[in-house]
Amino acid sequence: MKKGGFAGRVLYVNLTSGEIKKEPLDLDLAQKFIGGLGMNLRLAFDRIKPGVSAFSPDNPIVLGTGPLVGTSLPATSRVYAVTKLPQSRAIGWCGGGGMTFGCLLKNAGYDHVVIEGCSKRPVFLKIIDDDVEISEASSLWGKGVEDTCTSLWDTFGRHAGVISIGQAGESMVSFSMAFIDRTSTLGRGGFGAVMGSKRLKAIMVKGSKGIQVADRKRYKALSDELLNNIREYPYLKEWQDLGLVKSIPFIPKELYSKIKKRRLACVSCPIGDKDIVEIPDGDLKGLISCSTSVVNLLTPIVYGFKDYREAIKCISILDDYGIDMFEFFGVLGFAKELFDQKIISQDILEEEIRLDSLHSMETWARKICFRDGLGDSLADGFEGIIRDFGKGAKRYAPYIIRGMLPYVGPRGPLVWNLFGTMELGQALDPRGPHVGASGSPTYFAKRPLGQFPRHLIRMGAPKEAISRILPGLDSPKGEQELKIGRLLNYSHNWFCTLGCLGICARAQINRFYSASLCAKLYSAVTGIDTTAEDLMKRSDRVWTLLRMANIREGFTRKDDALPEKWFEEPAFKDYLSGNRVIRQDLDQMIEDYYDERGWDVQTGMPTPRKLKELGLKES
Amino acid sequence: MNKFKIEATPERCTGCLICQLVCSEIYTKRFNPSMARIKVDILGVDCLISFTEECNECGVCVDHCLYGALKKIPREKRK
Ligand code: SF4
Ligand code: SF4
Ligand code: SF4
Repeated sequence: MKKGGFAGRVLYVNLTSGEIKKEPLDLDLAQKFIGGLGMNLRLAFDRIKPGVSAFSPDNPIVLGTGPLVGTSLPATSRVYAVTKLPQSRAIGWCGGGGMTFGCLLKNAGYDHVVIEGCSKRPVFLKIIDDDVEISEASSLWGKGVEDTCTSLWDTFGRHAGVISIGQAGESMVSFSMAFIDRTSTLGRGGFGAVMGSKRLKAIMVKGSKGIQVADRKRYKALSDELLNNIREYPYLKEWQDLGLVKSIPFIPKELYSKIKKRRLACVSCPIGDKDIVEIPDGDLKGLISCSTSVVNLLTPIVYGFKDYREAIKCISILDDYGIDMFEFFGVLGFAKELFDQKIISQDILEEEIRLDSLHSMETWARKICFRDGLGDSLADGFEGIIRDFGKGAKRYAPYIIRGMLPYVGPRGPLVWNLFGTMELGQALDPRGPHVGASGSPTYFAKRPLGQFPRHLIRMGAPKEAISRILPGLDSPKGEQELKIGRLLNYSHNWFCTLGCLGICARAQINRFYSASLCAKLYSAVTGIDTTAEDLMKRSDRVWTLLRMANIREGFTRKDDALPEKWFEEPAFKDYLSGNRVIRQDLDQMIEDYYDERGWDVQTGMPTPRKLKELGLKES
Repeated sequence: MNKFKIEATPERCTGCLICQLVCSEIYTKRFNPSMARIKVDILGVDCLISFTEECNECGVCVDHCLYGALKKIPREKRK
């Protein structure tokens, strides 16, 4: 049978030497790691010299998409990148709803792009099918994300996919991100700064080669069935109209309908949860903003902004600079505390910090992006502030995990205080505190345990794991228990499966997929027959390789521990009992997680037996 | 002549490109948005949906659009 799905090539670009190579994708290796996220990781693992700094020319950026991306299957749009990240200093994944980028990259004929070296001058990578060029970008350097995209679209047409950084990435702000088609974000953890360190302003791609599926008949049957399920989903319309606004109480629906201009979707997504909004009145009337979600645009309200219009303006500014808003508010909150504690003096502060003021936030965003005065310390995140203001500052820092602010926590900006997999996942994802890889049925607080097994099977957990995750489920008198650590193992594997294939992992999308459906789709699209069990084993391999990559970087069990402050009041609550989560509970969850993964429960190292089973060499 | 004509409501379009993907696959056996007979252009707030001359109004794109941005309008009813 003919092969499909993969574009079949990897593009290698060296920004120092200017060398550009196109090489065939090693299909055997791609199969071992499924593709997409897994293959990115494998390519990065082979090329990263252990201990390399995130900003070294030797730190590669490996970017790519999975074998289902570019087909019409729902929400097969994801773009992932793997690199050494500056904030956590770990080898980590960054992913975004790929808008059109992933689809066009595949259409240009590449599954992955490996970017190494560092250019002397600002450049952007131009990919138009076989025509690949490292192009001069001095006219783009200094521009925000919006202008960079618009300028590239003006030159190359609107049907180009663009990944770009703003001024924050150029200045290597440690919490800068890249944006895909100016809407989706790529890289909490400092991915924007890695691009900036290479003087790579943007990647622009256009493609016209097309993507073939191996078994069209089987593909059509599977895809029709999937589409029907989506059509019949009772909340489809509501998701399409409201998205996250549906469940976030601080955004009144009337306000949303007043400002909503259009919802946008990544390629092939049936939900389309991106937003274009326009401010209808007031001083900011006519401001149009394009965002990964209106919820992000209104987040400053959580920090005390009174006028929603100013909140939108504030996030538009941050997005345009290419700054991670959570880290931005966290870092400024810390700096303000140090001022109140007289550790930062008035003459150093220069400008007042007010988290509820547009003027103040705009000023500080600029100072950070251009590393002006105190902005230079702040641009290096919590670490920069502690470096410059000493130990006295450290005791006032919020709890930090791997150099970053966890965003789900009793004192994080998003308050979910029941301790589920997304909470634990922040400690156990090497890239730093992130919830993206840790979705599970605990996402919806208080979901009855009886519903878990169905979801677990859907996520590819083997039947025998269910009694380990939910001991006592079947015993009539038995205490109900939920082993979050064991459950997280399957969240990570399921996330890998979706990430490797290129399916969006958001709850509203992945609910339509199951491990067995994924295996059928992979088989139909690529022509490589695969079972669900097989696919999950490969996902296990991918997540274990991520662990190995970071063990090679010197990370140990100690780095999975959570800061003491995490356990202070108001503390997290146990998912079932509502009791306070204490350190011993957490240590047990981490051990459970290691055990379920086949990693040594004391050291967190994958055991030799596990490595052998997965066909990964000990390194 | 086909029984229906295709009408687009660009206000509802999200730019998901499913229409372009399925159209191209049917006629070229490859998912290739650049070969589609329907073109969706989202420029800022505005959206433009157009059809090339080769479009035979087969309706496959309509059947796949999940946002109600494409509709089949029976010809009889159109004057
Ligand atoms: S749910 Fe959002 S991020 Fe995911 S594919 Fe759809 S539009 Fe993109
Ligand atoms: S399928 Fe519908 S919503 Fe998607 S791009 Fe086409 S017309 Fe727009
Ligand atoms: S009606 Fe048929 S030919 Fe015309 S654009 Fe739609 S799918 Fe293509």
